[in-house]
Amino acid sequence: MDYKGDIYNIKEILAGNSNAFSYIVDRHKNKAYNLAFRICGNHEEAEELTQDSFLKAFRSLKSFKMKSSFATWLYRIVYNTTISHVRIKKKGVLSLEDFPADATDFIGSNTTEEEAEKEYRSSLVNFALQKINEEERGLVSLYYYEEMSTEEISDVTGISKSNIKVKLFRARQKMLEIIEKVEKKKLIYHE
Amino acid sequence: MNNQEKFKEDLLRQYIDPERIEKTPDGFTSNVMTRIQLETLPLMVAERSRKKNLVPVISAAVTILLIASAFLIPVSQTDSFADPVLILIKNVKFSMPEINLSSIFRLTLPSVTIYVFVGILILTLFDRALSRVFHSEK
Repeated sequence: MDYKGDIYNIKEILAGNSNAFSYIVDRHKNKAYNLAFRICGNHEEAEELTQDSFLKAFRSLKSFKMKSSFATWLYRIVYNTTISHVRIKKKGVLSLEDFPADATDFIGSNTTEEEAEKEYRSSLVNFALQKINEEERGLVSLYYYEEMSTEEISDVTGISKSNIKVKLFRARQKMLEIIEKVEKKKLIYHE
Repeated sequence: MNNQEKFKEDLLRQYIDPERIEKTPDGFTSNVMTRIQLETLPLMVAERSRKKNLVPVISAAVTILLIASAFLIPVSQTDSFADPVLILIKNVKFSMPEINLSSIFRLTLPSVTIYVFVGILILTLFDRALSRVFHSEK
């Protein structure tokens, strides 16, 4: 994480050069968007929520303490914004039938079998993520995609380290059960 | 982490590829910056108008200060409120040419008139300077 770059840009913004915020957006947008998407599971909503989070960050930049990591502070905003949004707008439960039977459904005109398999696995994980609750989704995303330690996740979410471990364990279990069910369905489909 | 937990974690890692992160759509940064500019524009206008409104306040404060100083400067045997100011100006260590207005215009004006005109000139210059400061664009 470009820590010094963030601090330099933040000082510029606080001195009145709001355009310096574009460097911060560029630096963190993909990871912030990825976190929002993993929690809400929808590209349009994730874009809106990430934009809202950046706006919130811009507005409350004065309250950011330069001693801590800006990325952690930003992720906290993204995490809270997305979780609140998903809690308000609870979606219907997805059924196993909603997931395509196998990788062939992911083969496009220019896609190899290997790419289709990767796409299938990625979609399967996203599907499993949508079957667990929003808090667990956030934790899984931070742990597996952002590759954060439980201590860093604790800084972002405000959940204790021991609680994170328990919640991650449950989330993992639930996701693997879903993945297993889909894989079984795939086998039945091929027989 | 026990063996079973480790096994489950490894199993899930087979499906999750951290390199495969979802990327923002094109124009994301410019969209955010547009929203920020739209949000900060009314604030900038308000700040500018606040600065504009400061000009008459400062002018009034300076005028009040000048009038107050005329009353507050202690001198003995004063006939009018302007006398302390005149004495103060006379005490300043530089010479000013004496202009005999009555010989030019054939008018009998009080001697304070010349200082009033000089004062107005100084205040005008001061007003121009303030105007430049408060009306300048960043």
